[in-house]
Amino acid sequence: MSDIAPSARDFRRVTDEIVDISLHYPDRRAWWMCFIPALLLLLSFIVSVTVLFWYGVGMWGNNIPMGWALAISNYIFFLGIGHAGTLISALLLLLAQHWRNSLNRFAEAMTLFAVICGSLYPLVHLGRPWLFYWMAPYPNTMTVWPQFKSPLTWDFFAVLTYLIVSILFWYIGIVPDLASARDRATRRRYQVFFGLFALGWRGSARHWARWRQSYRLTAAIAVPLVVSVHSEISMLLAAGPINGWNSTVFPPYFVAGAAFSGFAVVSMIAVVLRHALGLRDLVTPRHLDLLAKLTLLCGLMTAYGYWAETFDTLYGSDPQELETMRDRLVGVYAWSYWGAVFCNFVPLQLLWWYRVRINPVLLFLISLSCVLGMWMERYMLLVTTLYRDWLVSSWQRYHPSIWDWSLFAGVLGVFFTLFLLFVRFLPLISAFEIKEAMFEEKERGEGTGHA
Amino acid sequence: MEREQAGPPSFNRRSLLQAMAASLALAAANGRRAEADERALPYVNAPEYVVPGKPKWYATSVRFAGYLQPVLGKSIAGRPVKLEGNDQHPATGGATDLFMQAALLGLYDPDRSQVPLHLGQPATWAAFDTDVFRRTAEIDRTQGQGFRLLTGAVSSPTLLRQIGDMQKRWPGMRWHVTEPINEDERLEATGRVFGRPLQMLPDFSAPAAIVSLDDDFLGPGPRQAMQARAWSKRQPRIFMAEPTPSATGTRAGERLIVPSARVQMLAQAIALGVGVTGVAAADLTAPEKKWVDDAVGALGAGNGLVTLGALYDPALHALVLLINERLGSFGKALRFTDPILAAPPDGKDSLAVLVDDMKAGRVTTLLILEAEPLQATPAALDFRTALEKVAFSVHGGLYADATANACHWHLPLQHELESWTDGRAPDGTAAIVQPLIRPFLNVRSSHVVLDRWLGGTASDHDLVQASWHTGWQEALLAGFVADSAPAAVTPTVRDRTVPLPQVPSSDGLVVEVRPDATQWDGRYVHNSWLQETPKPLIQATWGNVILVSPALARERRMENGDELSLRFGNRELLGAAWIMPGQEPHTLTIGVPDSFGFLDSWRQPGVRLEKTGKTRVIASTQPMQDMGEFDYVRTVESGEEAAAHPKDDVSFYPPRKWDSPSWGMSIDLDRCIGCNACSVACMAENNVPVVGAELVAHGRQMHWLRIDHYTHGEANAPRHHFQPVPCMQCEQAPCEMGCPVNAAVHSPDGLNLQVYNRCIGTRTCSAYCPYKVRRFNWFEYTGQDPDSIRAMRNPDVTVRSRGVMEKCTYCIQRISGARIAAKIAGRPIQDGEVVTACQQACPTQAIVFGDITDPNSAVSKRKASPRNYSLLEEANTRPRTTYLARVRK
Amino acid sequence: MPQIFTASADTRLRTAALLLAVVFVVSLLFTAGFMNSTYVTSVGWVVTQPVPFSHEHHVGGLGLDCRYCHASVEVSAQASLPATHVCMTCHSQIWTGAPVLAPVRASLADNKPLHWQRVARLPDYVYFNHSIHISRGIACVECHGRVDQMPLLARGKPFTMEFCLDCHRDPGPHLRPRDQVTRMDWTGWHQDPKVAHEQLKAFGIQPDKLTNCYICHR
Repeated sequence: MSDIAPSARDFRRVTDEIVDISLHYPDRRAWWMCFIPALLLLLSFIVSVTVLFWYGVGMWGNNIPMGWALAISNYIFFLGIGHAGTLISALLLLLAQHWRNSLNRFAEAMTLFAVICGSLYPLVHLGRPWLFYWMAPYPNTMTVWPQFKSPLTWDFFAVLTYLIVSILFWYIGIVPDLASARDRATRRRYQVFFGLFALGWRGSARHWARWRQSYRLTAAIAVPLVVSVHSEISMLLAAGPINGWNSTVFPPYFVAGAAFSGFAVVSMIAVVLRHALGLRDLVTPRHLDLLAKLTLLCGLMTAYGYWAETFDTLYGSDPQELETMRDRLVGVYAWSYWGAVFCNFVPLQLLWWYRVRINPVLLFLISLSCVLGMWMERYMLLVTTLYRDWLVSSWQRYHPSIWDWSLFAGVLGVFFTLFLLFVRFLPLISAFEIKEAMFEEKERGEGTGHA
Repeated sequence: MEREQAGPPSFNRRSLLQAMAASLALAAANGRRAEADERALPYVNAPEYVVPGKPKWYATSVRFAGYLQPVLGKSIAGRPVKLEGNDQHPATGGATDLFMQAALLGLYDPDRSQVPLHLGQPATWAAFDTDVFRRTAEIDRTQGQGFRLLTGAVSSPTLLRQIGDMQKRWPGMRWHVTEPINEDERLEATGRVFGRPLQMLPDFSAPAAIVSLDDDFLGPGPRQAMQARAWSKRQPRIFMAEPTPSATGTRAGERLIVPSARVQMLAQAIALGVGVTGVAAADLTAPEKKWVDDAVGALGAGNGLVTLGALYDPALHALVLLINERLGSFGKALRFTDPILAAPPDGKDSLAVLVDDMKAGRVTTLLILEAEPLQATPAALDFRTALEKVAFSVHGGLYADATANACHWHLPLQHELESWTDGRAPDGTAAIVQPLIRPFLNVRSSHVVLDRWLGGTASDHDLVQASWHTGWQEALLAGFVADSAPAAVTPTVRDRTVPLPQVPSSDGLVVEVRPDATQWDGRYVHNSWLQETPKPLIQATWGNVILVSPALARERRMENGDELSLRFGNRELLGAAWIMPGQEPHTLTIGVPDSFGFLDSWRQPGVRLEKTGKTRVIASTQPMQDMGEFDYVRTVESGEEAAAHPKDDVSFYPPRKWDSPSWGMSIDLDRCIGCNACSVACMAENNVPVVGAELVAHGRQMHWLRIDHYTHGEANAPRHHFQPVPCMQCEQAPCEMGCPVNAAVHSPDGLNLQVYNRCIGTRTCSAYCPYKVRRFNWFEYTGQDPDSIRAMRNPDVTVRSRGVMEKCTYCIQRISGARIAAKIAGRPIQDGEVVTACQQACPTQAIVFGDITDPNSAVSKRKASPRNYSLLEEANTRPRTTYLARVRK
Repeated sequence: MPQIFTASADTRLRTAALLLAVVFVVSLLFTAGFMNSTYVTSVGWVVTQPVPFSHEHHVGGLGLDCRYCHASVEVSAQASLPATHVCMTCHSQIWTGAPVLAPVRASLADNKPLHWQRVARLPDYVYFNHSIHISRGIACVECHGRVDQMPLLARGKPFTMEFCLDCHRDPGPHLRPRDQVTRMDWTGWHQDPKVAHEQLKAFGIQPDKLTNCYICHR
């Protein structure tokens, strides 16, 4: 296991290496060259939302039947990405997989930001966004409550819960490293900044005991969310009596797809960070290998979802369902279906080979193709289903408007801005957990030595 | 519903302003809290019989192509808010058409001309009066030489009396008439055959079989309501021969697609078939022969009727008259009266004569009343240059359009709903038009204009009353003058010779001109309700298209929306192509409005057609119209109705017990002629906003009730179906399950409610709706409406704001009204007490609404029919709106 | 390296966190209270009128019946405001010169309506029908309060959805004999729930249907 945590190096060096990134960032020019475009995208977000709120949802390409479109598909896409982070850190923590320690911190950060981006969409897509709080159950002079049969109501709870838990889990996890950053910081504003958020962490045994307790507890809460949240989101589509949506395969299909796209994104981030910040001995080929394997696994599960859906349709042979499938395969939006199938599953097969798995460039490209594929899948699920549903008379084409795209770009801007700030100012790898792993390695090593 | 008689002082400008104040409050977007400082303006002197908040109904009429269309006007706080058919009228019996429904918007139209224009500049009536006074001196001197009056078709006794007075005073003056779509050919034919022009009044309820030679008697027009209602009583079998699909064609059992040039052959063949003598033999193709044989067979069974399109040659009409005589339909299926519209001195050439005189400089003074000769005349006449030669020209009309700007004076005239006038319904029954509201613009009625011209000072009320010495009160209350229809005459045939014209060669492309289904001859160009109403067979809104046959489209590689250029001589018409299944291969069809300035006749061979290479966006509400393999519209063989689809109500849940009343609707697809009266009535009743061509093309139209058009079978000769689709009011409604905030909920009487003020616009309901009947306010459609439009709104229906979902409510405001009335009276709601706007408007009673828990209610009886089925049964939504399958006769 | 945070930092942090929580809870409570306050419901807030009309004097003092001025209350959705003419039936005889009545006389003289400010006002998407409530024996005072004790008219009850629903859920206790609906000071059997129940049946009221959205919203 020595290739997971670099046991050759002593503990202090690990901390230095990680914490120094936030204290004395190595390559500021490169960072700024990423951050300025991100800010520009953020600007596009602000403009798009302002326009949207000022004139109404009509600024988008939506119509009847396409009441839902890009907004909802992106919502599903972003929340899906989030799931990988929680899986990696929470699940593997409970399973005591130490190799996660090099990945969990930025995976969690990714989760957090993805959930934020995702949850922006349902808010802005409302016809009267200023009344969004009617989704929440609260005592009011109308004595009206939300409608608890609606999947949207549960979406509201699911996403909110997921957001809160993700924040907690991520923050609890980062506290000890904030402390070490505080202690190493030389400039006062860093000391204050880290000091405040380290919550006076002194690393006493009592602190550690409490910390472990809360961290594992939050993890235990987070893990089921991974399954429940995206199952719930799949209900958004599956609950309606619309051909192409109304299918029981959706919940597992969505969860698998979510983890799939998520792991792909984590792989991409891992590859970039270890290259950009020279973390090759913290994020080792072994990590890439494991990530690739997970991606492959989830990819295959998603592929099964595709197959199951097709099989059900053919087996059920309901004319309307068949029409929808035919339209997906050869209709005007066939590009989104075949695009999804190709990008998701064809390059993925390369990951059967170890050499490909540990090759950062290839892994990055394959993951990128998976992410694109999953985006097209979400788009396909929304558009090909709605634009031609039951009645021929209501068939209509859908073209996203410029404002659809500018908002999408803007939301990406939100993601990148947040993530770059995280990379720049916070310990992006869990130093203390790596050290813990190293320590346990040593212990075990000596133990075996004596035996 | 008690009728009222208009008492002059009761509603006036002030009460309208009051009403506007009230409606401004009403127009406030929902979701907003009421302002505490809301003003309330009570009357100063309350008119005894006006109860605030209670609607009043007045029987009156609106005008269309010279005829009166009887209506009952609903007036709230002095504002007319809805027009409905007059159920007691002998001709229409409550039937309406879309033009009648849309007349309301004509009254409030912000585009209306509001002030007299002199040489295009705003002027005063006083200035005009002095100008005319000077003019009349001149006219007196010349005994009226060079003074001409040009009007649309006239049936108003008062107007005729005034014209008579003018001619008495100025023997030299002449009166001319322009009515682009008319019945001159029919009148001429009767003149030829009977020795005097007679009005043909076919009774479509009488015959057992109708053979229609390209006569769209169920299609748009002044007679639609009357004829469609008559036809719907027994729905006799129809044999239709036509070059382009029509409403009547969609109802025909045997539809023969032929070039219009072949119609004469068919007429001859039928004539021979029924034994009319002295007719040349006709050579027919096999299908034509079969069709004719079947038709003759059906006619031979007795009690048949043959009709011919109004635009065909008088000689051909004469032949058809002889056929009908032979069939013995005179006096039964085909009645005759004296002409209902007053005939101008020069008959059908009236306009041509005028233009000649104008060009020859024989016209010095021209008064044009309620006519748009500049827009609506054949190009050959070249009215504009003729008009330039007139020294003093005056135009009176509702809009300051081309003609107005070309004349020296333009006078803003009153709308029927704000003026006193009279006239005759299409069956000849006279009626007095009483105002529902006093003019709120600076306008005059055409009677007053003529009266002032004659130096009079009378009001329109007095002028009209002067022509009705007796029965004034009764006529106002009833909405018509009892038994005033001209007596039926049984004519004797004088001339049996039928000098048929040479059959025009039918090679090459022929352009057929047809009345526009929503614009008629283009006179409704300002009416946004009609502009946004899809033309039934095309489903295109805002502007017309050029119909081409699928065969031609394949041959010339044309797609819907390709811009086509039609060339005739040196004139060109550009338009978007629309591939119309069931169109005769070498026939192109354009609307009457497009034909002006392009063609001189209704039928033009030898027109050159080419693609310009550009494409045009067609604002279509239904891009796809081929029903394919689906069974949205079901058809059962005649006599095998029982074999219609069985209902399977299998469910794991125990059936829910609904207590009375529990509302439901049944729509008979055999009766629906796709006339759109229901759809426009719905817009008027429910404050449905108009969104414009761009948004319609985008798929954002707001119609609560749409009429889907489907073609079924192979494209050259398909069957056409209409299917009105309101909200299905599902008992197991997916929308209700989807809504997160309880904005879509179910009522105990089975209504599928949409609570606008609770809606936050997630659009889940629409995504889940299998019928896609829900409409979303993508933008703020209502907030910027001008005051006049706000005054028009129905105060009983919430005005929806941006970001809110809306849909058909089964006219819940009417249900609530009836429920409250019944409760106060301590009785149950009777069957037929609640009549939805669409049901009321339907000329063929295709829509029936009522309590489905009462087995004796009209709707329950309908639903008991074996033809009854629900749309998308497989979705298991248990719709309350069900359909009666079509029967193939 | 010197510590920049003193030992008390933790305490301060905890206090801050606590304060934050307190502020949050308090603001929630405040909002809740505010929404029910007369500031929002405008109960008891007098609106300035062109004429300082006193219901206390006309109803409480002179004992005019509501229907004398609000004539259409029994037959129409709107109770309606009196036409200037109605005011003048009396005031052409008494207080003919009173300066406060100048606007009324002016209105009659130049035939311009008085511009009253509405006190009892519902949002435009609420369709309240006076006639049905009167005919079911719901007294004016139930919604408008004791106008006979209001020198200047103010809203008597909070016109919130809650207020409407409370009565629609349990109308029994609010019912009266029809001939008592305009009485301001009437106390009768409506305290007794049993009689109230009898009344429900007598009036043919089905509370289970009264809470449906379309009873008030269209």
